Amino acid sequence: MNGWILAATVVLAVGLGTTLWGVATGPLGRRVVAQNLSTALVCPGLLLLSQGYSRTAYVDLALLLALLGPVGTLVFVRLLADELGDNPPQAWGPTWVAAGVGTVVVAVLCAVTGPGRAMVKLLVIGALLVGGNLLASRALSGGFPGVSRD
Amino acid sequence: MTDAVVVVALLAVAGCATAAVANRDPARQALILAVLGTSLAVLFTVLQAPDVGLSQLAVGSALTPLLIMLSVRKVRRRSAHGKDSRQ
Repeated sequence: MNGWILAATVVLAVGLGTTLWGVATGPLGRRVVAQNLSTALVCPGLLLLSQGYSRTAYVDLALLLALLGPVGTLVFVRLLADELGDNPPQAWGPTWVAAGVGTVVVAVLCAVTGPGRAMVKLLVIGALLVGGNLLASRALSGGFPGVSRD
Repeated sequence: MTDAVVVVALLAVAGCATAAVANRDPARQALILAVLGTSLAVLFTVLQAPDVGLSQLAVGSALTPLLIMLSVRKVRRRSAHGKDSRQ
């Protein structure tokens, strides 16, 4: 019985549930947004899991996901540019919610960990997570017209 | 409590796999496949196999969708080109 694992269960259930619903139904633009949000919500869940199992090595999973999640979304933005070009999806509300969840989780874990190398790693993961999420959302909403259009 | 996380991850994997089969468009299937790769990585982590989860994350969330989308793009381009040359 562990509060961290309970929190991770809630974050993963809500995150994976909503993004699965979003990615399986609706227009193409909403599906790409949901795919972007899935990585942004699973990453805090993995951080909470590593704290719950008290194994710091599990943090590497969250680091890799924070690095590769936005890359995957940018792949879709680049290769689906023709379909998304007419009405680019605008989803700043869910994006800020996901960024807020990531920030809160990283801040709480930093407070628990205390100063040191582990805290620096957590801060790097948080910066990558929020920055990559915002970058991918901006690319999705047509923020880089010269780059995202073919 | 640990079982609840396993159940959540298993349900997510089962739902994603079913949705990937139920969709017919390859681009949408690739999107669902990316989410499936992420939830599979969560499942491996929860089952205490983080090394498998690490490689699944690298392959499933970026590489497989990239390969599928590149092939879809090439096939579509070739079919459009073939139609043009026939007309």
